[in-house]
Amino acid sequence: MSQHRFCDGLKRRDFLKVGALGASLTLTDYLRLAKAGEVKSTAKAKAAIYIRLGGGPTHMDTFDMKPEAPVEYRGNLKPIKTNVPGMEICEKFPLLAKCADKFTILRGVSHTLAAHELGSKYLLTGNRPLPSIEFPSLGSIVSKELASPPDMPPFVAVPNTPQGGGFLGLQYGPFSTNAQPKQGQPFNVRGIGLQGGMTLTEVNRREQLLASVDNTFRSIEAKSDVLSGLDEFSEQAFAMISSKRAREAFDLGREDPSVAKRFGDGEVNQSALLAVRLIEAGARFVTLTTGSWDMHNDIWTRLDKNLPMVDQTLSALLMTLEERGLLESTAVIMTGEFGRTPKLNQRGGRDHWPRAMFVVMAGGGMKTGQVIGASDDKGQGPANEAIAPDDVATTLLTTLGIDTRKEYHTNTGRPIMISRDGKPISKLLG
Amino acid sequence: MRRTHFALVAACCLAPSLAFGAAIEKSSDVPAKVLPPASIRFESPDVKEVPSLQRHVLPLMGRLGCSGRACHGSFQGQGGFRLSLFGYDFKTDFEAIVKSETPRVDVKKPAESMILAKTSSDVEDEHGGGKRMEKNSWQYRLISKWIEAGAPAVDEAKDPTFVKMEVRPTEIEYVKPGETTQLHVVAHWSDGTIEDVTPLCRFQTNDDAVAKVDVNGVITCVGKGDTHVVAFYDNGVVPVAVMLPVSDQVGPKYPNIPAKTKVDELVLTKLKKIGVVASDVCTDEEFLRRASLDVTGVLPTADEVRAFLADKSPNKRAAKVDELLSRPAYAAWWTTKLSDILGNSENQLRNSAPAKAGTHWYEWLHRRVADNVHYDDIVEGIVLAVSRTSPDQDYLEYCQEMTSYVRDDKPADFTARETMPYYWMRRNMRTSNEKALSFSYAFLGVRLQCAECHKHPFDQWSQYDFQHFTAFFDRITSGTGDREIAKELIAKAGVETDPKKVGGAKIRADLDRVARSGGVVPFSELYVRAPKAAPKGKKDKSKVAAAGRVLTPKVLGGDEIVDQNYDDPREPLMDWLRQKDNPYFARAFVNRVWAHYFNVGIVEPADDMNLANAPSNRELLDYLAAQFVEHDYDIKWLMREIVNSDTYQRSWLTNSTNEFDLRNFSHAVPRRLPAEVVYDAVVSATAGQSELARRAQDPVTNCAIGMSLSYTNRNNINNYALTVFGKPKRETPCDCERSNEPSLLQTVYLRNDQEMFRMIERPNGWLDAVTADLPGTQKKSSDPAAELRNKERELARMKERLKEETAKAKKNKGKVTANEAQRLLAMKDRAKEKMAELEAEIAALQSAGDQGKQAKPQSTAELINEAYLRTFTRYPTKDELATAEEYMKTAENPATGIRDLVWALLNTKEFVVNH
Repeated sequence: MSQHRFCDGLKRRDFLKVGALGASLTLTDYLRLAKAGEVKSTAKAKAAIYIRLGGGPTHMDTFDMKPEAPVEYRGNLKPIKTNVPGMEICEKFPLLAKCADKFTILRGVSHTLAAHELGSKYLLTGNRPLPSIEFPSLGSIVSKELASPPDMPPFVAVPNTPQGGGFLGLQYGPFSTNAQPKQGQPFNVRGIGLQGGMTLTEVNRREQLLASVDNTFRSIEAKSDVLSGLDEFSEQAFAMISSKRAREAFDLGREDPSVAKRFGDGEVNQSALLAVRLIEAGARFVTLTTGSWDMHNDIWTRLDKNLPMVDQTLSALLMTLEERGLLESTAVIMTGEFGRTPKLNQRGGRDHWPRAMFVVMAGGGMKTGQVIGASDDKGQGPANEAIAPDDVATTLLTTLGIDTRKEYHTNTGRPIMISRDGKPISKLLG
Repeated sequence: MRRTHFALVAACCLAPSLAFGAAIEKSSDVPAKVLPPASIRFESPDVKEVPSLQRHVLPLMGRLGCSGRACHGSFQGQGGFRLSLFGYDFKTDFEAIVKSETPRVDVKKPAESMILAKTSSDVEDEHGGGKRMEKNSWQYRLISKWIEAGAPAVDEAKDPTFVKMEVRPTEIEYVKPGETTQLHVVAHWSDGTIEDVTPLCRFQTNDDAVAKVDVNGVITCVGKGDTHVVAFYDNGVVPVAVMLPVSDQVGPKYPNIPAKTKVDELVLTKLKKIGVVASDVCTDEEFLRRASLDVTGVLPTADEVRAFLADKSPNKRAAKVDELLSRPAYAAWWTTKLSDILGNSENQLRNSAPAKAGTHWYEWLHRRVADNVHYDDIVEGIVLAVSRTSPDQDYLEYCQEMTSYVRDDKPADFTARETMPYYWMRRNMRTSNEKALSFSYAFLGVRLQCAECHKHPFDQWSQYDFQHFTAFFDRITSGTGDREIAKELIAKAGVETDPKKVGGAKIRADLDRVARSGGVVPFSELYVRAPKAAPKGKKDKSKVAAAGRVLTPKVLGGDEIVDQNYDDPREPLMDWLRQKDNPYFARAFVNRVWAHYFNVGIVEPADDMNLANAPSNRELLDYLAAQFVEHDYDIKWLMREIVNSDTYQRSWLTNSTNEFDLRNFSHAVPRRLPAEVVYDAVVSATAGQSELARRAQDPVTNCAIGMSLSYTNRNNINNYALTVFGKPKRETPCDCERSNEPSLLQTVYLRNDQEMFRMIERPNGWLDAVTADLPGTQKKSSDPAAELRNKERELARMKERLKEETAKAKKNKGKVTANEAQRLLAMKDRAKEKMAELEAEIAALQSAGDQGKQAKPQSTAELINEAYLRTFTRYPTKDELATAEEYMKTAENPATGIRDLVWALLNTKEFVVNH
């Protein structure tokens, strides 16, 4: 929130943000960009779910298999056919194979950052990380750009995410649940719902008391960003805490047990169901994280555990969203920070490999049931033109009707486009 | 009608001794002969003059928008043509325009040159950037004449260099909106040429609500207030003060407000000019709360409030300031503040320093802040730090010394070391560039990031300046001093370090374990490499060659340094910081401290002292900086000078003239408490007597304002509340890492987090004590003897458990993973802390037992008073008391009533802001 105001009472951005580029240039600039930015609004999506496979999931053994490659590349697993002719995925994905028409696989997605932290930042912000700038995560951009109901947090992370509001500020950071729900167990989220055994009547009574003791600054409240901000958040917090909607959205106990069962009980499975409930209640962006994909050794045992979890979670998520009429309005994306080395290492694992990775996208009015892009015959890099993480992020934001050429300003006054280099993937946008 | 001030302004770019900002020197000399502006000289088609690329063509292209960020100044260029951003790289731009594969000029047929044809074409789509000029304009002619002359490059050896720039008028006081002023800009060159460059400048307003400026340098007054309009040309950046008084109470019409101190006088002088009437001095209650929170980061106790209000002495405020400055909390809090700026973070030292480095760093600083060691001396201990404590100490001795600090059993005192090397050993300080950025941020308050890649858009710094400044740091290195000895030590310690078998984390944890038990292990060290010209420096030579740079270190805006003359190139740098006329060192610190007390700096943002970002009150900053130097950088002098002024002690209540003022210090501005302070305030407001005493005695370990675990522990222990309230990560060189902005999550935390509920009702907390006898409280042991027995049992259990875990760890030695080992160590640390806490509580209970029961408030009114004193540092008003009493009456029972009241008070704006 800007602290800089003067006599007209209007909020003024820090002077640096006003821009030293000369008024006429800025205008020309703006017009030119507006012209170039005339992307057809395909904004069917109103919300997004981001499934983050932390650690860097192998592409070779999941969505970009190479059965023709030598054994030290292709590994132990085999591809199976799906309900989309010509689209093959890993044999450990039988449920996904039956609904492949509901998602699209991007192959040959490529970048050069082989460290977890940097790769994650790249994928989660859509901008290649720079030391001088903390880019906002996609969820923060979405919660800044799209309005959400006052009693729902717009951006929720289950259980948390390494990316926050970046230079946009804390208020656009995620609301972190700090816990993952498990099937059949009660689930609590920090600060949501009635805590400490209080009833709604008690909360209301306290609220009235608070209002009666909080009057000292009344005469200057309207003129102070801090004071009016605190008031705003106070109202929102009360709405969220006392709202039935927020409380019930987080309460998985209210879910139909048969639906809960469909999701199963792996690390992230019930979190996906929580995501559906939150989106249903008005949240804009939900990030799920499962962080055990860093398979430098013993990859087969570990995939035996992880792949069925992904199979069940994603297929149940797509089915449930569709059943509730939310699939068209909810963009789903699933990926990690990079792929893994196409050639198996001596410890029976695969190492970090950002040159080729996969992204799965679904819903949000995107064209599904297709494979876009390709990696080369051994999965070492893009076969033709690479898809950049910037393009993936731009596509996701475009489905939500967000113009990625829009400019923000960092707190040092530097103007930054939401995505400088990203181009929407036209084959995905219907 | 308006008053204007004509004076010369030196743009101090290449001047040998740099005066900060635009030093104003009055001159009676009218410049001998000023060349008329290019717009006039190139008006006529018959002009014979050959324009210069540096002086005319590139500035003009900048003015036309060509080298802007969105056009050819973008890092990818535009349409295959790239210019340097803001046009200050004459060589590259010359290459791009004249020498590239598709040259933008055609010397044989000048009119067909792309930079002329495309930019003046009427055909749509001919030029992506549209039409920029007319064919018969002076602009077209200027560029065309340059091409006709063969498009000459800049000859660095022969061409005159930019000396300074003057802008007239230097200050404008408007009377009403709509008035306009034409700025005149004159540039001086080293050959004596003086040229009117007004049509070649860029102009910018710092606040378009006060004044706007057009491309031609015509300022139009828009609204009330004060700001700066800045002119940019070549390397010059000159701000012009522009103001429109807020009221008619200016000059002699200004009310008589006494100036108690020099600070007050300087602030009032400015307020008089702009017709802003200062607010009255605040109440004693407000003063006590504000000063306690700002100086010590701690809320006053109820007893302290009562005593201060009862004190009738006229000097009680000044006496309180002295007392606050002598408290342990002052040292704890300001060590934390300094640590923010210096970037003390264990996480950044993971690979280069022992596991206690973050703690050592804090303690080293803390000792000096507590002893009020002067600022320049503290900085010297960091800037000139090396790891070995004497020149003849060998590597083995060094490792032995380091082990002595790390061992658990009677560790040696790290704070006694003369220097503290960890600042330079952080992960984000590896390269010279990173060191230069961090150094200029921390000690100069200057952001150089822009100049790493292009000319700074708001300041004088070019890439050249940046590269030469980084040369100071090329020889500052860290690493293992002697590999052979390191190997021997590792073998002796019996630690497996084969990277094929164990990971780095495990190696570090194992070495750390050995060191903690007193075994000598190898340590990384910070040292200064010999200068590259030194004979037989085989290793050095290859490094220099690889880096491909042979640069002369040059202080920012100042002299070149002969590297070889110094064993440590940081010595001349430190000398430069200490020079009386250093334009940044004292100012940066003074400004940051001011920003702490006033919410905004005199230069704001406080860590961005660029030329275009002019101070809101230059005289005030000049005075404080000069006096700070005069007082030998005495930090407590500075604090007193600020806190004892009426300016600091003004009320937050505003009048019609100052209600929107946020930059001229005419009233107090309510601001959210910093993360640590807000957390501590909640803890203190709800704490029992013994806990309050413990916190006051040792805030370093017992309060969030002290040594925070998240900076001194490797296990990423993060306090949820502190994170939510915006505690900085200390990873990037920017004051903006700390966020004092409110957020939804913060409010949800204060209102509805389990931790808050537990805190309010915690055992031995204030509520627990006062509600013990009230109806509605579940009966529990209020018998101090029983409580004492319980605590003692808890302590015994804790000790037992620690013993078991330690035994288990010993048994599994070598088998546990690195993570597991770290977890155990962290647990051990936590258990030890908890045990210390319990011991303190037991001691407190014992002494309380001796003194008999604590005095407890008796009546409802007393309870309410106490709650207000603890949270708001004041008694409730009559109405507030009545409201609270009424609530208590209707509450289910008195215990619930007072609990609700405390909850409500903690959730008010009054509690969470300093005001």
